[in-house]
Amino acid sequence: MESRAPARFEDVVLPHLDAAYTLARYLVRNAQDAEDIVQDACLRALKYFAGFRGEGGTSARAWLLTIVRNTAHSWHKRHRPDALTTEFDETQHSDAVPHDHVDAKETIGRALERLAPEFREVIVLRELQGLSYKEISDVAGVPVGTVMSRLSRARARLQDALREEEVR
Amino acid sequence: MTHPNFEAQVDAYLDGELATGDARQLETHLAQCPECTRFRDQRVELRAVIVAGVPTFQAPAALRERIREAARGTSPATRAGRFNPRNLWRPLALAASLAVVALGSWTLALQRAAGEALADDVLASHIRSLMPGHLTDVPSSDQHTVKPWFNGRLDYSPPVYDFAGRGYPLLGGRLDYVGGRPVAALVYGRRQHMINVFLWPAGRDPAGPSTRTRQGYHELHWTAGDYTYWVVSDLGLAELRDFAQLLRQAELSTKS
Repeated sequence: MESRAPARFEDVVLPHLDAAYTLARYLVRNAQDAEDIVQDACLRALKYFAGFRGEGGTSARAWLLTIVRNTAHSWHKRHRPDALTTEFDETQHSDAVPHDHVDAKETIGRALERLAPEFREVIVLRELQGLSYKEISDVAGVPVGTVMSRLSRARARLQDALREEEVR
Repeated sequence: MTHPNFEAQVDAYLDGELATGDARQLETHLAQCPECTRFRDQRVELRAVIVAGVPTFQAPAALRERIREAARGTSPATRAGRFNPRNLWRPLALAASLAVVALGSWTLALQRAAGEALADDVLASHIRSLMPGHLTDVPSSDQHTVKPWFNGRLDYSPPVYDFAGRGYPLLGGRLDYVGGRPVAALVYGRRQHMINVFLWPAGRDPAGPSTRTRQGYHELHWTAGDYTYWVVSDLGLAELRDFAQLLRQAELSTKS
């Protein structure tokens, strides 16, 4: 039993590594930190894998993403206590594109970065990773109704950001 | 707006998350309300912009490989202690991202199995020290209080420095047991982070310098002068290296 678990872990969890890494990238906005977080999260996942049975329809993807999210949050608490609550800081992104060269693609990317973390994560989970509301609710640890309203508010903010950019 | 929740309803509808009955109702309403239809179209447009403009990322191949390795390893306990050249990635990657940091004195080497066991020991002591009431036996920011405290408790008198002026205040000292011997542990603070410095007289074959990261803690190890040093903290690696540099400089200036 013990020896079979690692092989299954590879089959079940590794297919979602890109999703895990993408989520981490958007949560911490730094490639190196994201890599560390995903590694930590996967080692944790490996440790608890024996307990993962996909109960209640939890997909392996949502399960892994939950661990990544929690790892990112505790990592933030430890290393950057203020980072999860502060919004995008322009000064930390000195390579930000000069304003007149901005097109819609860059605008949406920057608008997403500026979103508060709880909005950013629902957008990433839904739009980039196609999770159901139920799965997002598991990952983010909030009721489905909250997922629904957060997603809607997040989209409204992104739309506002795009409109502002057009006006300029 | 027909009802306050309308926007969320349309979003849920477009996400395929609206119950069939509600979806029918909404469709009926959309068919006769240009304003709401416009709202829906904007959302569809937004989705296209997001998909086109927000990239997904591929996990680095090295990361994937490390995790595969870990999954193929045996039990987590033996895995942690095993020498694995792939562990080099971390110091190397960090080094790359911290190009400004003077790496000269930090050859990013990895200890062999014996050193690895010692590093595990040091880490365990560090973590234990962070549990309530375990941090210091002699809580003092005065090096002239901490140093003499070790008299009669150890067969050596560890050098103790205070770096409060550099942002690393001395918090105290502790007697600890590492690598099969009682050793001096000095505790320093950096904002909310704790740094443990373990030191004992260097053996005949000085090891290090080396860097290791486990469970979110960095461990720096080197031998300088008469002492072997282990520095452990969850502090960022760059700052921890700065701190280690202070220690080495203090050691050197006392010597000369």
